[in-house]
Amino acid sequence: MHIVCCVKQVPDTTQVKIDPETNTLIRAGVESICNPYDLVAVEVAVQLTEKYGGRVTVISMGPPQAESALRECLSLGASEAILLSDRAFAGADTLATSYTLSRAITKINAAEPVNLIICGKQAIDGDTAQTGPGIATWLGYTQLTYVSKIIGIENGTITVRREVEGGCEIIEGRLPALLTVELELSSIRYATLPELIRALRQEVKVWGAKEIDALPERLGLKGSPTSVREIFAPPVRGGGTAFDVKERKEQATEDFLEALFQKDQTLMDEILSKDSHAQE
Amino acid sequence: MPKNSKGREVAEVVPGKCIGCQLCVGECPVDVIVMEGGVAIIDAEGCIGCGKCVDVCPVAGAILYEKSRKKKAAKAAISCPIDEYKGVAVFIEVQDGQGAEVSWELMGKARELAQKLETKVLGFLPGCNIEPVAQEAIAYGCDVVYTLDDPLLKTYLSKVYGKALVHLCQHVKPEIMLLGATSLGRDLSSVVATQLETGLTADCTGLDIDPECRLLMMTRPTFGGSIMATILCRNYRPQMSTVRPRVMKLPKKDPDRRGEIHSLSFEVAEEALPKVLDFIPRTAEAGDVDIAKAPVLVVAGKGACDAKNLPMLEELAQLLGGTIACSRAVVETGLLPHSRQVGQTGKTVAPKLYIGVGVSGAVQHLVGIQGSDKIIAINTDRQAPLAQIADYALIGDYQEIVPQLIEGIKARTGKEASRG
Repeated sequence: MHIVCCVKQVPDTTQVKIDPETNTLIRAGVESICNPYDLVAVEVAVQLTEKYGGRVTVISMGPPQAESALRECLSLGASEAILLSDRAFAGADTLATSYTLSRAITKINAAEPVNLIICGKQAIDGDTAQTGPGIATWLGYTQLTYVSKIIGIENGTITVRREVEGGCEIIEGRLPALLTVELELSSIRYATLPELIRALRQEVKVWGAKEIDALPERLGLKGSPTSVREIFAPPVRGGGTAFDVKERKEQATEDFLEALFQKDQTLMDEILSKDSHAQE
Repeated sequence: MPKNSKGREVAEVVPGKCIGCQLCVGECPVDVIVMEGGVAIIDAEGCIGCGKCVDVCPVAGAILYEKSRKKKAAKAAISCPIDEYKGVAVFIEVQDGQGAEVSWELMGKARELAQKLETKVLGFLPGCNIEPVAQEAIAYGCDVVYTLDDPLLKTYLSKVYGKALVHLCQHVKPEIMLLGATSLGRDLSSVVATQLETGLTADCTGLDIDPECRLLMMTRPTFGGSIMATILCRNYRPQMSTVRPRVMKLPKKDPDRRGEIHSLSFEVAEEALPKVLDFIPRTAEAGDVDIAKAPVLVVAGKGACDAKNLPMLEELAQLLGGTIACSRAVVETGLLPHSRQVGQTGKTVAPKLYIGVGVSGAVQHLVGIQGSDKIIAINTDRQAPLAQIADYALIGDYQEIVPQLIEGIKARTGKEASRG
């Protein structure tokens, strides 16, 4: 079985802090990491090849530095890594990105048929969750999003559990299929030393627009219907009253409750009446 | 204007404004722009001061460069006859035979947008036996409902629903289409936007019309919620956007409202479709509740991550008719499941009352609780980000404070917490 994983290098948003003085974002010095959801995708792909045989190819679209994210995927057991990097790709929104990735997969598929594409559910910098379904649509693959468990693959059919509104569904679909995966699907292995060495030494291929035979008008900024008009800091909630329980013990808690039940009486009435209603 | 050691005037990126789109990286003829931590950095020594990065930068003021240059507007490669597209459409999601609340919330927003554009609110309703939902859509503010009633649409499948909605868009040609950012809506919107080759902006928190160009201004949090971006879709239609549940206000229902219902049909080619074998609903018995729906949330953070104190937090939550949730750190210890996690990689919540116990309040957590009516923080540190933005901050040891709260609330409401 041949599995392709699409990964993205993202800034580690957990390191992002707000400058309290200027209320702007401090992003300088923030590390770039491989999107955590995508690492789960690679881990799961490698597990599937361990069970069913085959190999994993990882691809990423990004600047030359994104190579380090691909090397991390190699250390987890992926066999091959391809970086899609070209000036023509810059400024792509999700439509242009999914087009570019789908062109690369078409080329990979021509060399060795791709049975499964696994993507992370979303990237932590954009949170759109659009690129995976976009790729499936461009390629006409069976689309299975929000997968929290892979139940099995048999006779060209994959069965998975998907997280949906109000519960989860068990669904089966024909291969080739594209899955987007939830974090809870699997924890990620620690790369062994030999794997780390292999990951460092192995070649990461670089493909540009020519290599993937893409239409220039569908790439990058030109191929992106959406554009950013402005960015700004999110509205900040003003701070409220503090009650120092360290100093004033129960009295502070009591003062707080007085304030809550007095000032926010309507809200508390709503909450408590709803509660008693639910009890009936 | 900064100069390098050679005395040449060079361009400089303003880190707080850079959105990390990497356009300048691709444009720089001397390759001196690199990405570091999600922002572009220009190596001043190598910069030749050509200003090409300024031309291509989509954000005004993100690159400092003095020589004024006329910005070339990026011309669309494939454009679409946008004048043919009229009306604000809402995809009406059906859950258990009824219209999803988020669809009605969007109907309210669509009314407001349609008023500004002086156009109609359209409802797109694919499904099976959906006549009553169509009537409800009109009561919530829809002018014309287009239904596709077909047994094939009984269960949601990306491919079939995608075809249905693409068919409706091609037939009706709305200028705007809004979908709820439920798991179904997010799955479907990308399929439809890709097939129509139009722009899609996910999880918008603000939607408005630019009075000058009549474009939809779609505002969404990005970069883990630490910045807001306003996105436009200039040359393609429909302008598509998804909005999470409980972000927009639910409009009042008017059962006397009149509207039209048109029923359309569509054909699906015979092909092997995925099959839903089973549906397992989330049930309270399994301890698996939807924290996004709870009116009160008691949220355990790293500072209150202790199994022995969990019953105490549960008691407080129950007393207020709510439930417990947690931050990411708590999920990582295995104390509570991922379904209870609040924040960027967990759930967005908007309870009436949010009580954070030992939650420090990372950006990723705060973005998930913005919609809460009142935020209460219990923390030993007054300087913790959550304590800073909370409406009420209780500073001290939660093991001391929570029992005091339980007693105090019981005294005020005159009831016991224990429930059957």
